[in-house]
Amino acid sequence: MTLAWTSKIALAAGLAILPVSAWAETINISYLTHWSPETVALLEAAAKDYSKDHPDVAVTVRAVPFGDLLTTLRSQGGSSDGPTIGGIYDLWLPELARDKLVAPAPEAVASDVKQAWPAGVVSAASVGGTLYGIPNEIDVYALNYNKDLFKEAGIEAPPKTWDELREAAKKLTKKDAGQQGFGMINSWAAGVVHPFSSLLVSNGGDLVKDGKPTLNSKQAGETFQLYEELIKDGVSDPSMATADANTTGPFLDNFVSGKTGMIIMANWWESALKSGMGYKFSNIATAPIPVGPSGDKPHSISYSWMTVVNAKAGEAEQKAAWDFLAWLNSPQSGKNGASAMSDILMSMGILPSRSSDIEAHKDKLGSEFLSGYVSVLADAKPFPVVLGGQEFSESLQQTLEALQYGQASAQDAQANAQTDATSILERAAK
Amino acid sequence: MTSSYRASAGIMLAPAVTLIGVFVVIPMLLTVWLSFQDWSTQTPFSSVRFIGIDNFREIFGPTSIGRDFKGALVNTAIYTGLSVVLILPLSVLFGLLVYQRDVGGGTALRTVLFSTYMVPMIAVALVWSKLYAPTEGPINQMFSLAGVGPQPWLSSPRSALISIVFLNVWQQVGYFTVLAIAGLTQIPGSLYEAATLDGASRTEQFRFITLPLLRRTLLFSAVIAIINAVQVFEPVALITQGGPVGSTNVLTFHIRRVGIERAQGGLGSAMAVMLMLALIMVVCALFAFMNRRDSE
Repeated sequence: MTLAWTSKIALAAGLAILPVSAWAETINISYLTHWSPETVALLEAAAKDYSKDHPDVAVTVRAVPFGDLLTTLRSQGGSSDGPTIGGIYDLWLPELARDKLVAPAPEAVASDVKQAWPAGVVSAASVGGTLYGIPNEIDVYALNYNKDLFKEAGIEAPPKTWDELREAAKKLTKKDAGQQGFGMINSWAAGVVHPFSSLLVSNGGDLVKDGKPTLNSKQAGETFQLYEELIKDGVSDPSMATADANTTGPFLDNFVSGKTGMIIMANWWESALKSGMGYKFSNIATAPIPVGPSGDKPHSISYSWMTVVNAKAGEAEQKAAWDFLAWLNSPQSGKNGASAMSDILMSMGILPSRSSDIEAHKDKLGSEFLSGYVSVLADAKPFPVVLGGQEFSESLQQTLEALQYGQASAQDAQANAQTDATSILERAAK
Repeated sequence: MTSSYRASAGIMLAPAVTLIGVFVVIPMLLTVWLSFQDWSTQTPFSSVRFIGIDNFREIFGPTSIGRDFKGALVNTAIYTGLSVVLILPLSVLFGLLVYQRDVGGGTALRTVLFSTYMVPMIAVALVWSKLYAPTEGPINQMFSLAGVGPQPWLSSPRSALISIVFLNVWQQVGYFTVLAIAGLTQIPGSLYEAATLDGASRTEQFRFITLPLLRRTLLFSAVIAIINAVQVFEPVALITQGGPVGSTNVLTFHIRRVGIERAQGGLGSAMAVMLMLALIMVVCALFAFMNRRDSE
């Protein structure tokens, strides 16, 4: 055979296998999250398991601090090279969907989610009836308190009403020892707004009703008043409850070191408490949010997280991303009928939202710390998911911080909060 | 001859002028244009809508947008002013100390001073956030040894911004000390010798020789210090997130929040334009002040 013929045969063979080699090319998908390195390692392990059956898909995980998550999604999610998958907070979804940064879920994924998750959680992952993400975690707020400090102060049971809350906070405060009765977080929007909202709904009020802010209600006024009284009583020291970009900082340090008697926080910080307190974690107990003068029974605020797919990613990447997410959240990927995602979430003390996951983790969800959260979930109100929600939260945060630091009275804070919220939500809805 | 000279000058300048045009002038003009539009950063430029000066009205208005912007502008001005007021005298002081040839360890001191400038701001911010920690932080522990109670540093709206200024001063002073030393080397030694022969004291020599002849260096240092200070971002993003009560919400951080996080590109551009104008005005005022002193 001449050299010319050899070259022609080689070229023909090369052309023949070209589609195969192109098909066999690895699809790279990336997953953006705000989780800690330990949790990222668990996700990477799950991705490795997935790649065993899907050698053509490579999943890489990238983590940024919580404070940078939305900015990263917004600045990089608009391109095909941005993260293929992103873990997002439900409050961000309406605007990300409006700006076409997130892709609607394929029909098969959407019908599976609608069947396997509670309706309320599905609705938080949808905009205008279209599902955009696979829900994973659900977080709810409750009162955490230090049992040792309660015992020292002679308090027998956690406060059930706001009056009891004020009394308990007074007994727990020891200024000379740098100990505050009740912790009020600042410098972190959700950390400020969610505890306030939990007290508000436990007083029969709402932040937003039918798309309109209702911070001018009597119930909201009483909640602002409670904050002012707690500050005036000297039982809450805002300088002991600052948060940083990683949602840690003095508020966490002071609670784990026994310098804060009570605080309203979500279940997800169980892992932070455990790593900060070690064996002393057993001193921490959970109780429902105390009921205000206008409330009927304990309520609290809940919110959810979901994983979404970049609408600008290539078709193959989007398809692979949805397939990976469907597997990650399915009962086939984890242990004992749980999803791999729920195993990861439970390692942080976060409640999974898929019905089968709640069943699979029944034992762990019954722990002393988490059972307190599970018990309040039924009466929790979802944090309002509206256009302009993040700006609304940040604005309310500023107002509440001004109240905490004595820069505004309860009345002024209430008036400012309502005016700002009205203008923000009206502008966002345009 | 002249035309060929002009042509060759034009050819030689073209690459630099093109690069500056593409990467500096066009983005600046684009920002100015966007400041008059209603635009979401997630949509193409074709979707913009001209709204005149509405964005500027909004950022100086009474709503939360206006309040936050004006607060951030004031915070940036305080941060910049304090940084310059602290950095410049300290850099001259350290420069004088290090410049003394007969003092042993001068080179080591110069290296130590400059080394802070080489540490990335992200590392500085992380370390200082721990130094400022309310209970276990070394600064408060040292204070407690001296009988002073724990200070809130980053946790109080009264002290948070000043605490960030200290961090900036610590990091930048070494660089400005090197500039001061460079200025000091330009002062002829014969002037000091003559002054000494005339009976001038050290203080008089500093006041009537060193300071006047360092004026140009100090002007350059002030301009660079102002520009650096206005661009502060990392310590705020990493440690305080603009809080508490917006006390550390500086303009760069706020523009990022509005323009990127909330995707309000028009408003963010209007804020960036105001920042640029404020910076130009301050620098021009500084030059005008110096020129007047020179002519006097």
